[in-house]
Order: sequence, then C-alpha cells, then structure tokens
Amino acid sequence: MPKNVFPDFIELIKTKGKLFGPVKQKSKYSFEEISDVQDLDFDYQRTVLGVKKFLTPPRYKTLSFDKEGTKDIIDEPETNIVIGVHPCDIHAIKILDRLFLGNIIDPYYASKRENLTIIGHSCLPDDKCLCQSTGTDMVEDGFDLFLTELEEYYLVWVGSDKGLALTIAAGDLLSEDISDESIREYVRWQQKRSSMFKAVMPSFKYMADIITLNYDSEIWEQFGEKCLSCGTCSLVCPTCNCFNVDDKILMNAEEGFRERMLDSCTLPYYSMVAGDHDFRPDRTTRLKLYYTHKLKEYIGRWGQPGCVGCGRCVTYCPVDINVITVSEALFGEVCDTKEVCE
Amino acid sequence: MWKREKKPIVGVFGFSGCAGDQLAILHMEDSTIDFFTSADIKFFHMAQSHQEVPKMDIALVEGSINTQRQLRELKEIREMADIVVALGTCACYGGIQYLGEDEETFKERMKYVYGKSGEVPEFLDLVGKPKPAQPISDFIDVDIMIPGCPISAENFVPIYTKLISGLLPQKYPMPVCVECKYEGNDCFLLHGKYCLGPVTSAGCNAICPSMDISCVGCFGTYEGANYPSMISKLKEIGLTEEEAIRKLKLFGGNKVEQALKGD
Repeated sequence: MPKNVFPDFIELIKTKGKLFGPVKQKSKYSFEEISDVQDLDFDYQRTVLGVKKFLTPPRYKTLSFDKEGTKDIIDEPETNIVIGVHPCDIHAIKILDRLFLGNIIDPYYASKRENLTIIGHSCLPDDKCLCQSTGTDMVEDGFDLFLTELEEYYLVWVGSDKGLALTIAAGDLLSEDISDESIREYVRWQQKRSSMFKAVMPSFKYMADIITLNYDSEIWEQFGEKCLSCGTCSLVCPTCNCFNVDDKILMNAEEGFRERMLDSCTLPYYSMVAGDHDFRPDRTTRLKLYYTHKLKEYIGRWGQPGCVGCGRCVTYCPVDINVITVSEALFGEVCDTKEVCE
Repeated sequence: MWKREKKPIVGVFGFSGCAGDQLAILHMEDSTIDFFTSADIKFFHMAQSHQEVPKMDIALVEGSINTQRQLRELKEIREMADIVVALGTCACYGGIQYLGEDEETFKERMKYVYGKSGEVPEFLDLVGKPKPAQPISDFIDVDIMIPGCPISAENFVPIYTKLISGLLPQKYPMPVCVECKYEGNDCFLLHGKYCLGPVTSAGCNAICPSMDISCVGCFGTYEGANYPSMISKLKEIGLTEEEAIRKLKLFGGNKVEQALKGD
C-alpha cells in the first residue's frame, strides 16, 4: 500500500467499526478512539496499558442483579478495530487467548475478543525492548492485518479472514504487485531492526533453570525490601490478567452488579484464603510468585515465558524492579555462587 | 436471592473534622434519597434534628477525638451500635490534625491561641476539655474503616450497602497506583515529581493523578505501604528526608507515626 493512500485506508477502516490507535498524551501513549487520521502516532514504543484494556478491561461489569434474579452482561456484537499494535502486544494477545479461550472458555473475554480486529504495525526498539530475547520480536499470526512501514510503502500481511475482508474492501488502495526492490528493502529493514536491540539477555533462554537454582536466594529479599507493593508491574504487563470479583449493591439496596477488577499478586491480601490464612504475607514471597510464574511456570506449561519483552515494567516500575533487573541479578547469582558459568 | 428482615437502624455521627464526610453523603445526588429510604436513619445531625443516641445496627462515625466530652460520646456510640464504621481519614487515622498529637507542642499551641494560661475560656466549656487529636480506633473497637478526605461515593456506597444488607464487605487493601493504572496514567515518580500513590489507600479512583496532580495521600495509609522504600524514592527525586516524612505525615496520622517508629 503506497503511503499516500494511508489516510484513505484509515477512512475506509473507520466505516467498518470503531477505530482505536496509539495517541500521544503528554508523556505517554495510549490506545484511544481515533476520529482524525492526524491523531494517530505510530512513532511510539509502548502504551501504558496494552491491548488487554480492550480484552480484560481494568474494571467491568459481568452480571446485574435485582429482586427478580440475575442477568449476565455479555458484550453485544460490534466491531472494535485497534491499529498500531506491535508484535510484542500481539504475542501477549495470543497468551491471553490461550488462557481465556483454552479448556474453559470465558464468555466475557470471548465476546470482547470476537469484537476486536487487530491491525499490527512495525516498530523500532528502544533500550527497554527485550522482545528479541523473549522470542517475540517477530509475529506470524494472531493479527488480522499487519503493516510494515517502509520508505514509500506499507507492506501489508493478511493474518485472518477478517483481515482478508478488509483488504478486499480496500480494493485499489492495496496492490499485490510487489517489486523485488520492495522485498529487498523489507529484508534490509528487518536486519537493521534486529541490530538495534540494546536489551539483549541471552540468559532468558535458561530462566526456568536459573530461577529453580535461585529459589532460596537472598536476591529475592533484596528486591522485596525495595518493592512498593503498588501493583504497577502487573497492571501494565500485557499478559498479567488476574482479576478480583466483587458484588456491588446500589444505594437502594435492591439492585446491583458484579464487577471484575484487574488484580495484582504483589498486593497484600492476594493469597488470602478462607479463615484469614495468607500464604504470601510479605513482599518478598509475593514478588517471587510474580517472577516464578512469569519466567518459570509459563515456560514449563507453554514452552515460552509469560513475558513478551514489551518493556512496560522496565518503564513504569518506580523502584526499578523489572524483568531485566531481576533476570540479571538472578543470572549473576547463578554465576557467582552456583558456579555454573564459564 | 437475598432478602432483608427489616431495615437496619443507622446513625451518622461527627466529631472533630470539617464534616465533609457527612456532607459527602448528602451530596451523593442520585443516591441521597435512597440513603434515607434504604435504612432507618435515626441520628444524623447534619440532616435531621434527633438528639438522642438510639440503639443502632450501624454507626457511621466521622472525625477525630480531641475533647474529653467527645470521648464520652464515642464510647456511648460504641455501646449502642453493633457495627461501628470509621468514616473518613480523620476517624480512621487522625487526619491532618493528628500532626499536632505531640503533648508538648499541643500545650504550646493552646497558649498561642488562648493566651498565657493555655486554658479554654469558660464559655467554651460545652465542648469539654481539649486534648491532642486521635483517631477513634485509639479508644474503641472499629469494625470497618472507610477512609477519604472526604470519602468518595464510589468507595463508600458498595461497602455501606453490604452492611445494611447483612453482608460482609470485602477487605482488599490497594494503593492509589492500582486505580491510577486502571486509568492508564503515567507515573509522577518517574519524572522527578513526588507522589504518595504507592503508600496511600485507593478508593478515590486516582482522581488527582488523572488530573495531572500528585497524590498527597488524603485517603490515608495503605496497608501494604513500604515506607522506607518510599522515603528513599522521594529522596532520590530531590526531597530531603524531613520533607519526605512531613509529606507522609500530612494525612498518614497514627499509622505513619507507628511505621516510622518501627512498630
């Protein structure tokens, strides 16, 4: 697709559903509803909240109740199109799909997912992007369309029937006539991008083993002492999806609703069970849960970490506890005390 | 389906503070009328003229205690109520006035205000002998705390409606940061500006950070707060230790005092 027809393409997409895309807001980026193509800003690294804000929103109602009975609240069919999604965030959606649409299908997630069309967009990394180390820098599926921005063209990959329908609707705006030079330019661009990664963590491949070796390490205490238990890491993480459920009654005491709220395993009562038993009353064990779940248990279960290398925890943790600092400290510990490095 | 036997009897009481929490109840607009119909409100000075403290199911108590007479009344409320709810940051943690809880500086201030003797003039005797401000939990058992300066309807209503329905509200302490990230905000602490979100109770919907204003901690202390780490973070962005502690103490009341003493 030639770049000069991109505004026309956006106008066309807008006729197919509600369009969301990355918008700059002061010091941050956010996926917001787009009315004017000028509002879109693809020159961004990461939004505060990923695409999970459409799929598992921070707070949403799942049920309403009154004196007569209860009623499920499932989203009506509609089309929400989010454009500008980076490969890491698409990988994150694939992880969420596996969890919510696996053995047990979550009807609330399913309706939101069904309503969402994903148009990916290429990106260039900053020093916080570690997707190359997590193996999520490239994406082959999980999107409906994917746009790679070259000098004069967008290279458009089609990833689903929904995506195909959009390209058919776009008609003349797209061309199947791709020159060898465009392909060469694409390969050169990929090579350039690959060489730009600064946060390269070879140790990530063995993180499951490293964490096992370090399960009782003092490193956890050091991070636990610093951790603010503020929950930011989980809330900005595109794969963290734990939620809390509460029934809220209105002031008339006759009707109400059930609400799901994003939760975080770093909060104090996260592991509290009946009888006030708390398995993880201190920050250290909670933080250990966060990282062993993300970097060890996921690998054991799915063969890949629960981290997609988006760099959000690296950006937003106020006290520098993130996948990079934790992994590096654990790796260093293994080298120093367990004598497994050459 | 749940069914209530009868409307519970509720009293709303106010001690030292700005009365903002009582006003917040009256100011809930859409819900104000429902507040007076969903329970049997038997005592609410700001809205009604009842004078006698009734036997109650639930007492909502606002404000801190700083006269002997208030202390007597508070104990009477505790005896008459099955459930006592501390309403607002003053009742929960002491509020801003807790900054002057130190006995010595309190005497000095009394002299500054009332002259050499530091005694309250006789005509003011109806309020009782003054003492430094303390949260109500220093004197009686408190069943539920709903902090806020003032309380927010979004936080107050779901807790209160559970109580009047005979259900137990969920206790799940969270800091302001959680609600701040719900709103998708950036973090002040990353840009060299102070913010007390990580040590402050949620419930406000992160209204200040969402308006680009740092959190000053008006919802009081968050149960999982890590004060040593917070203080070193504030120092890292340029505050002195003294400034950091002063900011934490502003609304932190007795909890911050205890935490700083290492209790």
